[in-house]
Amino acid sequence: MIFIYAFFFSGIVCLIGEILITHFKLKPGVVTSLFVSLGAFLDIFNIYDWFVSKCGAGAMVVITSFGHLIMHGAILETKKTGLLGLFSGMFSFTTAGITATIVFSFIFALFFKPKN
Amino acid sequence: MTINFDNVYLNNTSVVAGPFLYDGPLKGNFDDEYKDFYDGEKTYEDCEIKELIKSINILIKKEKNKKIDLMISSDLNNQLIVSNFASKNFGIPYLGVYNACASICEELIIAGSLLYNKDIHNIICTTSGHNMTSERTYRNPTEYGASKPEYSTFTVSSGTSCLVSDIKSSIKIESGTIGKVFDLNIKDSNDMGSAMTPSAVLTLFEHLKDLNRKPNYYDLIISGDLGKYGEKMFKELYKEEYGIELNNYIDSAVHIYNNEDKRVLAGGSGPSCLPSYVYSKIIPDMKSKKLKKVLLLATGALLNTTSVNQKKTIPCVCHAVSMEVI
Repeated sequence: MIFIYAFFFSGIVCLIGEILITHFKLKPGVVTSLFVSLGAFLDIFNIYDWFVSKCGAGAMVVITSFGHLIMHGAILETKKTGLLGLFSGMFSFTTAGITATIVFSFIFALFFKPKN
Repeated sequence: MTINFDNVYLNNTSVVAGPFLYDGPLKGNFDDEYKDFYDGEKTYEDCEIKELIKSINILIKKEKNKKIDLMISSDLNNQLIVSNFASKNFGIPYLGVYNACASICEELIIAGSLLYNKDIHNIICTTSGHNMTSERTYRNPTEYGASKPEYSTFTVSSGTSCLVSDIKSSIKIESGTIGKVFDLNIKDSNDMGSAMTPSAVLTLFEHLKDLNRKPNYYDLIISGDLGKYGEKMFKELYKEEYGIELNNYIDSAVHIYNNEDKRVLAGGSGPSCLPSYVYSKIIPDMKSKKLKKVLLLATGALLNTTSVNQKKTIPCVCHAVSMEVI
């Protein structure tokens, strides 16, 4: 069942993205930022955690998960160390993702050229 | 504003066609072709410069008995960098002009006017386009992987050149209309077809009014790069505004690519879209007398990266050039 939920969750996120681009004529960068904000917003009352438990990777791979993780890290660190944690903890869960992106982009850019 | 020319002729032309174009419906009509967006060069810009130089060289070879007095060139890159780099190889006096995709008609009108000067006889007009460099200039770099809506157009990659001369040939450039800039408050840089259509309609109307002609005076009226949706909109708008149905009108953007290929979206665009189509399809048809009177409407969207980022509108212009077989 989790596979079906995963399929539908990611699919619906992509559908919303497609509608935003074609009908509301938003730029791809704006759509990405919107989804990150939406993921962060859905962290209230642990709504996004509920999606993750139901849809698994379907909710973890899409870009909304990035917002959710930023929010999670910030809240967790704030609870531990006070207001300063808001700044130090914000990217604590997402460091792996960000570092991997930078390192792999660098390596692939060394060996490959964009085609079209 | 319409100018009549009486000693301006279109001589030889050359087209170096790039990916998507060389194997499209006009396959085999080009002077040369290249099959990938680099063509052995390090960057897209280098590739575009190489193809433009190739196209000029082919033209000079075809016209080797003539002394070239001037070269007028245009492309879509910042500060016309492709034209500038290409022209330094030739040692021919050089004018760089920019009216985006309307450049070809702008060049022909400038060339036609300059030919009244007794010291100038042969002028090369070139345009250059490259899909990847123009995506980077106007929208997103392709490396970013942003998806494009279906009404968006796919810039034609090619280098084109033609020789405009006061020495008689079979095709005469008979008149040209310089269009006014028109702005319909469209802000989407993916939707240039809708932005440019009204200016094309206006220029066609003014051209016909100035010369006291009807649309059916021409065997073919061909617009630059309005795309699939722009072509429909053009006919509807012309009928709505002036009550005349156009039966002899096509848009070159729609006929330049294989339309079953989903990757080309609404069709071609760019400064070399109209000349690629005209030089490889219309001119041969005119030489074989299938078409006698043709009107070119080159449409240009005059936006830039900063204006798009600052959410400004897209002003558009359209110039017309009328060609006749003599």
